[in-house]
Amino acid sequence: MDGLISFFASHHAIRAELALKRTGFAAQLIPGPKELSPNCGVALRFDYDQREPVLAMLTAKNVRVDGVHFYRPRTDEWNVRRNGERAM
Amino acid sequence: MALIYFDNAATSWPKPADVCAALGDYFGDAGGNPGRSGHRMSVAAARVVENAREGLAELLHASDPSRLVFTQNATHALNLALYGLLRPGDHVVTTSLEHNSVMRPLRHLETLGVDLTVVDCTQDAMLDLNSVRRALRPATRLLVTTHGSNVVGTLIPVGALAALVRELNVLYLVDASQTVGAIPIDVQEMGLDLLAFSGHKGLLGPTGTGGLYIREGVILSPLMRGGTGSDSANQTQPEFLPDAYESGTLNVAGIAGLGAGVRFLLEIGIEAVQTHERKLVEQFLAGASEISGITLYGPGDASLRCGVVSFNVAGAMPSEVGLILDESFGIMARTGLHCAPSAHRTLRTFPTGTVRFGFGWFNTPAEVEVALDALREISVWATKGAAVWTA
Repeated sequence: MDGLISFFASHHAIRAELALKRTGFAAQLIPGPKELSPNCGVALRFDYDQREPVLAMLTAKNVRVDGVHFYRPRTDEWNVRRNGERAM
Repeated sequence: MALIYFDNAATSWPKPADVCAALGDYFGDAGGNPGRSGHRMSVAAARVVENAREGLAELLHASDPSRLVFTQNATHALNLALYGLLRPGDHVVTTSLEHNSVMRPLRHLETLGVDLTVVDCTQDAMLDLNSVRRALRPATRLLVTTHGSNVVGTLIPVGALAALVRELNVLYLVDASQTVGAIPIDVQEMGLDLLAFSGHKGLLGPTGTGGLYIREGVILSPLMRGGTGSDSANQTQPEFLPDAYESGTLNVAGIAGLGAGVRFLLEIGIEAVQTHERKLVEQFLAGASEISGITLYGPGDASLRCGVVSFNVAGAMPSEVGLILDESFGIMARTGLHCAPSAHRTLRTFPTGTVRFGFGWFNTPAEVEVALDALREISVWATKGAAVWTA
């Protein structure tokens, strides 16, 4: 996943994760990278090329989005090296 | 002696097994602080909270779960609404049926310069819409009423009142402590601006839980300001919901249980709960009206009430009846003034009060029969005892 959505509040992050997973989009909640947004403690990783349908759906569900970012965290290398995804 | 719990209007008992399990699950499996950190235990805790919020939105037919904020109890929610909205010079209208959780904040706000009108209800605790209409003025900012009286169970026609005040740009706050989870509520269809509710009564959750529904467009000044886990670089309180009104760590364990209670109710259906409680009220009113020496309060028609009944036994104080019910029959009742002095003045039961039964989903017709038998015995005793005592 190479995209990241930041939120104003974890309330919206949790609802967004649920909405994405229910509709078959990849989604993973991670600690919010402060370099991208100072707002919410939790941010949602997703596939950046799906941003249009994802944002349309979130808007329709009243989920407030702070920002959408292209994001490939350095921690991915760490995960590859350790041969395992973060288990959520 | 099997215990019979008729004090569901104070707090419901028993709780569904899923509610008890949800508290253990939170401490065992989630355990973190919701929305504060991004680790899996924090996220799991946030999921618990948001799951409960979604359930409540479904139950109350709120269009957007973020318009529901969690509070410690209904009193907290009512204080948030009243102090968040009313300013000196504002006029507020309420009824003589209100609980002290409404009346005390309003009496205090009155000392700060808020104008208060208390509309009297009839002696059988019914509210006349015209008396509310007559109380409204150009400066009226808010109408606040209970949905169901905690003393006699009378239902207030909140939909009709909402329609009445909407035309006049007056906001409407409903105290649904006695009705949420037991009477169907649709905040959109009823047209409510604010709805305060308890989490530990009809919603079957743990004590220490409650909430406030705030319609989109209604802005309150927060009762408390502090950490929310959001907008952390900013030293001023966020304005977006639910964070604006949820400063400090929430009662996550309690909310976990509340969420489970709400799921339990959504499966049963609130209409089924209402039908069940109404049958118990009908059975009780029919039986008790045949017992000489018993005075029943409130309307005789069970469809005008929630699951609360109030009565007195001639020749006995409410506290005596309560003690005998508990010690000799294992029946838990509430006695006295029920935190609503003006409601008792309305019923002409001030300052003695009444005996109150609050029926719930887990009560049965057989339990009501046991109570009616008990009241027959107590009534005979009280009449005889009073005669001896006065002789």
